[in-house]
Amino acid sequence: MNNVKSSTLFKIIIVLYLFIIIFPFFWVTVTSFRPEAEIWSANALKLRGATYTSANYVNLFKTTILNSLKNSLIISTITTVYVTMIASLCAYSIARLEFKFKKLLTVIILATSMFPQMIVIGPIYRVFVKLGWTNSYYISLPYSMITLPIAVFILITHFSQIPKEMEESAIMDGSSKINTFFKIILPLAAPGIFTSAIMTFIGAWNEFLLSLTLNTNEAWRTATVSISFLRGQFEIFWGQVTAATVVVTIPTLIIVILFQRQIVSGITSGALKE
Amino acid sequence: MKFSKWVDKNAGYILVLPAVIFIILFSIAPIMGTLRYAFFDMQLNDQSRNDMYMKSNVNIALNQETIDYINYYLDIDLDLVQKDATISKIDEIKMDLIELENFIAEEIATADLRGVVQVSEDKQNALIGRQELIIKKLEELYQMEDEFYSPEDTMAVASEFETSIIKSNFSGGANFAKILTDTRVHSTLKFTLVFTIISVFAELILGLALALIMNKPFKGRSLVRTFSLIPWAIPTSVAALMWCYLYNGSSGIISNIFTTLGFIPSPAALLNSSKNALWAIIIADVWKTTPYMALLLLGGLQVIPNSLYESSAIEGASKWQQFRYITLPLLKPSIFVALLFRTLDAFRVLDLIYVLTGGGPGGSTESLSLYAYKVMFSQTRFGYGSAMVLVMALVVGIITFIYIKALNVDLIGEKR
Repeated sequence: MNNVKSSTLFKIIIVLYLFIIIFPFFWVTVTSFRPEAEIWSANALKLRGATYTSANYVNLFKTTILNSLKNSLIISTITTVYVTMIASLCAYSIARLEFKFKKLLTVIILATSMFPQMIVIGPIYRVFVKLGWTNSYYISLPYSMITLPIAVFILITHFSQIPKEMEESAIMDGSSKINTFFKIILPLAAPGIFTSAIMTFIGAWNEFLLSLTLNTNEAWRTATVSISFLRGQFEIFWGQVTAATVVVTIPTLIIVILFQRQIVSGITSGALKE
Repeated sequence: MKFSKWVDKNAGYILVLPAVIFIILFSIAPIMGTLRYAFFDMQLNDQSRNDMYMKSNVNIALNQETIDYINYYLDIDLDLVQKDATISKIDEIKMDLIELENFIAEEIATADLRGVVQVSEDKQNALIGRQELIIKKLEELYQMEDEFYSPEDTMAVASEFETSIIKSNFSGGANFAKILTDTRVHSTLKFTLVFTIISVFAELILGLALALIMNKPFKGRSLVRTFSLIPWAIPTSVAALMWCYLYNGSSGIISNIFTTLGFIPSPAALLNSSKNALWAIIIADVWKTTPYMALLLLGGLQVIPNSLYESSAIEGASKWQQFRYITLPLLKPSIFVALLFRTLDAFRVLDLIYVLTGGGPGGSTESLSLYAYKVMFSQTRFGYGSAMVLVMALVVGIITFIYIKALNVDLIGEKR
């Protein structure tokens, strides 16, 4: 009896939880298909008896949102590629090789992930202005500040899990350490590297502050910043705003659905370095 | 052969080198830069303060530009004026301008023709004297009875002399002293702490409960896990905009529901009153990060061996006792990591508030990060903003220290 009760309660909690997570998306998606006039009427709170239209999306695609998505895609991809490469080398060295200042380096990497991002933005902004690098894809470079530490910690976890015997036998056979890394370790660590790449991509895709300050020109804005400008000073076109929200959410949804296992492993291995 | 041996011996250093270069360029060097900015009265929109000057400087380029403009206007005046007295006055001023140019060339300019040159205070004062004399003579000129092109424009141009004089803007600890008396810093710090404490506490409790639920096998568990990822994975600005719509004063469904439930007097009161707006932001943050917290803690729960629960059950331990004496102690490292990272994240909150309320109503939901951002990029006071960010970093350090002490865990695996 008690068991039935608790399992019913259990089910109710799960359903409620899912409902709370999904409801905002659901409601925003529904709104995005409504005519602007109706969103401001009493009808806005009803599901039935409403009119539906694709006008918001048609209007949205006349704005620069697609261009912003393209910027986000390019910047995030560049960041993912180079951060994953340098993080792999660094993490392997920390996990397996001997060198002085290893502990110091680990502490510095950890500390940089804990500082508020505001701490680097002033000097980076001034240097970018001086070099003429604002409003360009150079913004991918400072993105390393937010993505590199997480990538390194995820990869340290994964490299540590590879059995040591693999390298030892290769080195016994006369292979150099760097050769061993590229020929033996890298293929074995591929799943971990992929996890780290996914996490880096999500981190870069969601970045806001650097993009807001460095790429101020509308043509160079990333999606996260572009969408924040839709919330205008004096009036808000909710139809377009909700449509934009849906469009910008779709890439993230695809990534989550395709790579959920890697993401869960990334969240836990980045945080628990055991 | 020798080279490859050297490479092999130093492989550890070689492999970390690229990452170290990036960390130095984009983390350490900028942090040092911020540290320096904080000791200067640096304002980007003020030409005499848009860099850091320990010593007195002269902006020769700007000085020359001013001279050229004055000459340009005086030449127009020369064509218009009628009286001999005015003509000779103009000639006198033009001579002074030439002398000023000579003074710059002989006493101040450097061989490499730099625009901004460091000078002694005496020379800077001598230069100011010459500039002021010219302005005085111009004033005298325009009081004479004659026809001039545009005295206002000439005087406006001449007043630009001021911008070519750069005094040292080293301000010592003045920026930090100002933080102590800036009431807006106090109110934003208070808001940030209240927001951080309430939302992280709520997220920890709810996240732990959800992790315990998700740790049990049930149908659709992987589906629940997938859905948990979505709020965490979407960009914060997107989530904020979504909640902005749900909260809005006319058609926002959440604000309407809250009104019906009697939490707020009218839908518009949700984001228009400072107290309600705080809760609105907390709810949005809890929605976005509780699932993440749950997944982090779930990761910790899954490594607790089941045999511990089984043997304790045999010995007659209750569910609560199992939770209290097995789950909690073994979950401590996960709780520590989750708490620390969430606290630091909440403390530096910027994009959520930037989009959701913009700091309003009346600055009541402004976080410390948002205020520092506005000081730096709206008011362009880089020096003061940098000092604020450093204070934030100090608070981050204190929070980390408190957690390490309170939960007694080792952060970098020293005891391994």
